[in-house]
Amino acid sequence: MIEVSDLKKEFILSRQQRKELNTKDNKAVAVDGISFKCEPGRVFSLLGPNGAGKTTTLRMLSTIFKPTSGSINIAGIDAIANPQEARRKIGFLTGSTGLYARLTPDEVIKYFADLYGISKSDFEERKDRLYTLLDMHDFKGKRIGKLSTGMKQKVSICRTMIHDPEVVVFDEPTSGLDVITAENIIKLIRDCKDEGKTVIFSSHIMSEVDLLCDDMAIIHKGKMLFDGTMDEFKGQMQAENLTAEFIRIVNASSQLKEA
Amino acid sequence: MIFTIFKKELKDTLRDKRTLIMMLVIPILIFPIILNIFVGISSSFSEEAAQKTVKIGVVGKKDNYVVNQLEALPNEMGKKELVFYKDTLDMIEAIELDSIQIGMYFVSDFPKYMEAKSPAPIAVYFNATDMGMKGRAELYMSTIEGIATQERYIAMDLVESELRPLETSYNNIASNKEMIGKLAGGILPYIFIAFGFIGCMYPAIDLFTGEKERGTIETLLTTPVLRWQILFGKMGVVVLSGLLAASCALLGLFLSIEVLDIVDNQELLDVIHSILNFKFILLLYALLLPLTVFFAGVMIPIAVYAKSFKEAQSIITPLNIVMVLPAMVGFFPGVELNATTASIPVVNVVLATKELIAGTLDIGLLLLSFSVMIGLAVIAVVISYKRFDKETNVIM
Repeated sequence: MIEVSDLKKEFILSRQQRKELNTKDNKAVAVDGISFKCEPGRVFSLLGPNGAGKTTTLRMLSTIFKPTSGSINIAGIDAIANPQEARRKIGFLTGSTGLYARLTPDEVIKYFADLYGISKSDFEERKDRLYTLLDMHDFKGKRIGKLSTGMKQKVSICRTMIHDPEVVVFDEPTSGLDVITAENIIKLIRDCKDEGKTVIFSSHIMSEVDLLCDDMAIIHKGKMLFDGTMDEFKGQMQAENLTAEFIRIVNASSQLKEA
Repeated sequence: MIFTIFKKELKDTLRDKRTLIMMLVIPILIFPIILNIFVGISSSFSEEAAQKTVKIGVVGKKDNYVVNQLEALPNEMGKKELVFYKDTLDMIEAIELDSIQIGMYFVSDFPKYMEAKSPAPIAVYFNATDMGMKGRAELYMSTIEGIATQERYIAMDLVESELRPLETSYNNIASNKEMIGKLAGGILPYIFIAFGFIGCMYPAIDLFTGEKERGTIETLLTTPVLRWQILFGKMGVVVLSGLLAASCALLGLFLSIEVLDIVDNQELLDVIHSILNFKFILLLYALLLPLTVFFAGVMIPIAVYAKSFKEAQSIITPLNIVMVLPAMVGFFPGVELNATTASIPVVNVVLATKELIAGTLDIGLLLLSFSVMIGLAVIAVVISYKRFDKETNVIM
């Protein structure tokens, strides 16, 4: 379960950043008072155009960023008051996630298992299960730098799931991946759902959202534009398809702001 | 947790060829190579200079006293050949063209000066850029002057010792160890500082900027490990790399002495062996550890702030000069460790190490130097922590 209430994130801008952004404001509001709830066994999608605040929101959920205000509850834990405890419950994967190229998959998985404080027996059992599931046995001892993108993605998935997280956060997980490699991620999200985990993922690809999600939220310029189930979204549609409806909602919000 | 991160980062660092070359290979090889080349070149130069036939130009009569003595000097003092000139202008031009190397001008009434037993004037010409020629001229002239002086004593029926009213002997009470420590002791901490800095540089950039650039830091920050634990684990590897690089440089220096036999003076070797005892090495590392922590603490905030390997490298490389320059103070023999110099970072480590080698280290000044470096190291670590804890610095 993820419960987010009135979440806000402001960044203080340096002189250089003000110059780059052509603004006189001392701070930039990346996320502006959003609230939503992700249920276990359901996939929640956070949609929005580039710069909408999706990544900042997910980074706050995974406790990398501290919110300016608001509250985050991860699997019953106050993530702002107890970030260390909350992290034990979270698996985090992004499309741009890097891996240690000079280490082998075995070494990376062991390293993260140690960081999560997993017992030796749990580690061995989970590692074996994930290696079989992802067909990783053949390259587990090779240096990651020498692996293909698909193999690396499998290592990333294994790394994300080795501590058996209750909540899995995916930030544009298929970005930059080919169809075959992206399929691994799609399968992972479905497996997580089937296992009763809480899944949240950000995307701007509507077809992917349609394929996977049960609930969704659209954010634009840090503000929530829609929060509901996929069925509700489809029921309220004014445009002819999901992508067109997404664009219509975002554009309407922009025009409203300009007015 | 700190040890888990340290272990992983060390493994990662030791698998990076670039870091490995900078940290282990270059420091070990640099001294054997430099010293070998230096000794080889200088010995071949001195051999060549000793065997070279020096052409000496003379303006004056051929049966001059000095000319006769010059010709009589044995070849062991260096082979020579005399060339006679009519005037000094031609002779100076010949020196400039290197057709002769030394020129001598005797006034026309030179024999009269000799007969009158008064100082006979001789002008010696040489080109100072032609190494060793002034020394050769001085050797010939001092030998001939010695012979002439003896001849005058005999002619004047004088006893040489009666003309020497004082017999002064100068006695150096400093031990060889102290002499080496004070005069050449600066080189050891200089090596350590220079290589310690370089050794810290690549791991610092790789473990902080590199992790940002490769996108691995985000994943690390989602694990239930505290940021200071991540910082300390990584910092431990940076410090160890600095110490390893410096130790390898020293190892290379000692290999040059012990294996390549560059030092053939047994007395000097005995002194070097007496310096290198367990207590000395322990105290040296005690001084150098906070210095390396300080280096790491200076580099880490830069590496955390930088967005790319190149940016970090372009900021840290010039910093090398700022850090290593004070270490050169150790090369000046007159500069000693006192309350003021013990308070100046880097300089205090160099001077304390010099005193340590010489065996004249004051424990109070050692503690002051140590405290200053510990204080600075703590400040550097705090700054590193503040930088690393700033979320916008860590994430691109």
